[in-house]
Amino acid sequence: MRRYVARRVGALAATLLFVSLLVFLVIRILPGDPAALIMGTEGSREATERLREAMGLNRPLPVQYVEWLAGALRGDLGRSIQYDVPVGELIVTRLPVTLPLALLAAAFMVVVAIPLGIYAATHHRRSGDYLAMIVSQLGISIPQFWSGLLLILFFSVTLGWVRAGGFDGWSAGVWPALRSLLLPAVALGFFQAAVLVRATRSAVLDVLREDYVRTARAKGLRERLVVVKHAFRNALIPIVTVAGLQLGQLMAGAIVLESVFALPGLGRLALGAISARDLPVVQGVALFVASSIVVINFAVDLAYGALDPRIRYE
Amino acid sequence: MTRRTILAALVAALAVGPLAGAADAQGPGRLIVQSQTEPPGLDVTATPATATSGIVFYNVQESLVKVDRHGKLVPSLAERWHTADNRNYTFFLKKGVRFHSGREMKAADVKYVFERALNPETKHPYAKDYEAIGDIIVKDDYTVTFALKSVNANFLQNVARAGASIYPREAVETMKSHPVGTGPFRFEEWVRGDRVVLVKNGDYHVKGLPKLERVTFRFVTDPNAVLAALKAGDVDASLFGLGPEHVQDLAKDVRFQVITGDTTNDVILAMNNSRKPYTDVRVRRAMTYGINKADVLKGAMFGMGKILGTNVDPLNPYYVDMSKAMPYDPDRAKKLLAEAGYPNGFDTVLKVSPQYDYTVRSGQIVADNLKKIGVNVKIEQIEWGQWIARVFREADYDLTIIGHAEAWDIKNYANAKYYYRYDSPKFQALFAKSEVTVDDKARREVYVDMQKLLVEDGPVVWLFMHPRLAVAKKGLQGLWKDLPASANDLSEVSWAAAK
Repeated sequence: MRRYVARRVGALAATLLFVSLLVFLVIRILPGDPAALIMGTEGSREATERLREAMGLNRPLPVQYVEWLAGALRGDLGRSIQYDVPVGELIVTRLPVTLPLALLAAAFMVVVAIPLGIYAATHHRRSGDYLAMIVSQLGISIPQFWSGLLLILFFSVTLGWVRAGGFDGWSAGVWPALRSLLLPAVALGFFQAAVLVRATRSAVLDVLREDYVRTARAKGLRERLVVVKHAFRNALIPIVTVAGLQLGQLMAGAIVLESVFALPGLGRLALGAISARDLPVVQGVALFVASSIVVINFAVDLAYGALDPRIRYE
Repeated sequence: MTRRTILAALVAALAVGPLAGAADAQGPGRLIVQSQTEPPGLDVTATPATATSGIVFYNVQESLVKVDRHGKLVPSLAERWHTADNRNYTFFLKKGVRFHSGREMKAADVKYVFERALNPETKHPYAKDYEAIGDIIVKDDYTVTFALKSVNANFLQNVARAGASIYPREAVETMKSHPVGTGPFRFEEWVRGDRVVLVKNGDYHVKGLPKLERVTFRFVTDPNAVLAALKAGDVDASLFGLGPEHVQDLAKDVRFQVITGDTTNDVILAMNNSRKPYTDVRVRRAMTYGINKADVLKGAMFGMGKILGTNVDPLNPYYVDMSKAMPYDPDRAKKLLAEAGYPNGFDTVLKVSPQYDYTVRSGQIVADNLKKIGVNVKIEQIEWGQWIARVFREADYDLTIIGHAEAWDIKNYANAKYYYRYDSPKFQALFAKSEVTVDDKARREVYVDMQKLLVEDGPVVWLFMHPRLAVAKKGLQGLWKDLPASANDLSEVSWAAAK
C-alpha cells in the first residue's frame, strides 16, 4: 500500500509538471498578450512595448517557465496582472464559492441520480423506467447555461425567492450564501445527475442478471435487500468510476454557471484570466484544478479497494 | 432522510423570503450598478480601459478641467485658467480641496502628476498627449503654469482626460488596487470578480454633492444575466453592456426607464488600406456606396444610434453631418469596382470579435449588402485578445468592424502606422495644422476640410454612432443622457423621494 501511494504521488508530480508546461505554452501561443490587452485600442504602440518589457514578457520562454516553476515549487504562484494580488490568495478567496458550489452540485447529483437509477433498473421497461430515461435525456441535452437561466427566470424573476445572481460571501451569513449557490448547484448537478442516472441504471441492470442475485431471490430474500445489499453494492464500481469523472467535470460546468449567476468563483476567475491573458492566474488555476482532479481520481482508486475486497494495491 | 424530506426542506428553505445581502443591500442613498467588464486594475494612469475610467474617473479621481455632460470644458480642480499666448497655461487651483487621505491638494501635486506621466518609466498610456509640455512651474500652492514647447490646440482637452487625474504622490504604489483622489466618492473595496464599492466623500469640494451614500459596481458579463438581475431587482441600473435587443424589452416594462443618447463611439468598417484591393480609392469608395447604412443601423441596432459619414462624432464641437455625402448606390459601387478592375467583384474576409455583439450583427448585414455588388465577404469571428493582436497590432486583416470610443480620435487617420494603414500626406498636413490652430473659427475650418477629405478618400466606411443605452429603475435621476467623456459621473445621481 505504501509503495502504491508513493507511486501515485510520483505520478501526481509528473502530471502537474506536464499540465503546467502545457498551459504555459498554450496561453503563450495564443495571439494577444496582457500588455496589448491592457492598452487596448487607445494606448500607443510605444506604451504597449514599454509595458511588455516591464512585465518581463520579452524574455526567452524557457527562462520565464523555469522562473515561474521555481516560484511555484516554493508555493509562490506569482502575482495577478489584472488584480494585482498574489495568485495563491486569489484562488483561496474564490474557493469558498466554487468548492461549496461543486459539493452542493455533487450532493444533488448523488441524491437524485442513484435512487433514480436503481428505480429505473428495478422497473426495467416499465413506465417508471421510461420516464426516468426521458428526464435524464433532457438533462443531458439541455445546456447548463439554459437550465440556469430557466431556473433564474422561475425562482428569482417570477417568484422572487432567491437572488438572480451574485454572492456576498459567507460573512453575510451561512443561509444567504447557501441561497446564492442553490440554483447554480441545481443547474450544475442536474446535468451531471442525468449522466449518472444512466450509468447507475445500466450497472444495476447488469448485476441483476447475475446468478447470485437469482440465488438470493431463490432463497426468499426480500427484493429490497436483494437490490440494496447484493445488486447495488456490486454495481458500485462502475457507478463510482462515472461519479468520479463527473466530479472532475463539475469544474468545466462551474465556468459556465458562474458566469450565468455572476458568482465570483474559480471558473469565472479562469475565464476572465484567459480573456485578459492574465498568465500567472491561468497557470495557477490550471495547476490547482489539475491537482484536484488527480486527487479525486486517487480517492476513486482507493474507494475501489473498499468496495471490492478482491482489489489490492501493491 | 428520504428524498422527499430533503426536497421538502429545500422548498421550505427557499420560501423563507426575499434575500437581502448584508454586504450591499439596496435602499435610499444606495445604488447598485451593473458593469460589464471588470477593470484591469483601478489605476487610470496605467490603463486606458474604459472599464477602469468608467468607475474611477469623475467618481474617485478628477482632473483640473472637466468635460461636462454637454461636452463642454468646465472648471473642476482648477477654478479657472488663463493663457495669453497659447503656449503658457496658468491654472488657478480651487482652495480647500482635500484628497481622500485628508491632505490638501496643492500645486506641487499637479506638477508631480504630469511629470510622472511624462516619465517613460511609468508607462503612462497617454504620455504622447503631454509631450508638448516643456516646463511646469509652481508659482504658489494654488497656481501652476505649464510652459508648452509648441502650440497644442488640444492641450485643455488632454488635461481633462482620465489619464490626467490628480492623485496624491504617496498613493502611487497602491493606485492599481486602491485609487485615491479628490472625487465625490471614496474607494472602499474591490472584491475581485464581484464588485467595487465606493462610499460618499463627506468632504467633497462641491457643496451638496454627492447625493448618494454608497455605490456598488457589480460585474455581470452575460447580458441575459444582466437582464435577469435587473428584473429581479438585484441591480438598479445598467450603464453599459446591454444591447438594443434587451433595451427594447425593458422599455416596455413600467419599472424601468431607458436612457438613450449620443456617445463618442464611432462604429466603423475598417479596411486595410495597405492590402489589395483596398489600396485603390475607387474600391474603398465602392464599399461606401455599396453599404446601406440605414439597413445596418436597423438590423444591428434596432434603429438606435445615428448614421455617420465621417469620423467626427455628433458630440464633437466641430461635427459636420456628412451622413448623406455618399448615399447608398449599388450601381455606382459596381461601376467604381469595374473601373478599378474588379467587374466581377472579389472575395474578402471580415474579422469580428463576438465580445462586441453589435459588430457581428453589423457584419452580417454588411456582408449581405456587399454581395449585391459582387463582393463576397467571409465572416470570421475571433476572440478579443486575438483581435487586438492580429488586427489591431499587426494589421493582419482585410476588413473588420469595431467601435472607436475615444473622443477626438480623428488623429488616428494621421498615423500611417495605425491599423487602417491610411497614409495620406495631405491629411497628415491638415491634422498637423489643426493641432497648432488655436483660433476656434480657423480650427473649425481645418476640421471641416479634414472631414471632407476623409469622405473623399474613404479610408474606412463609417457606419454609425453607437448610442448610449442605459437602463435604470424608475426614480433614479441625474444620470447623464449623452456620454461625451469616458466616465460615469454619479455625483449628481439620486433617487426620487419615493423609491
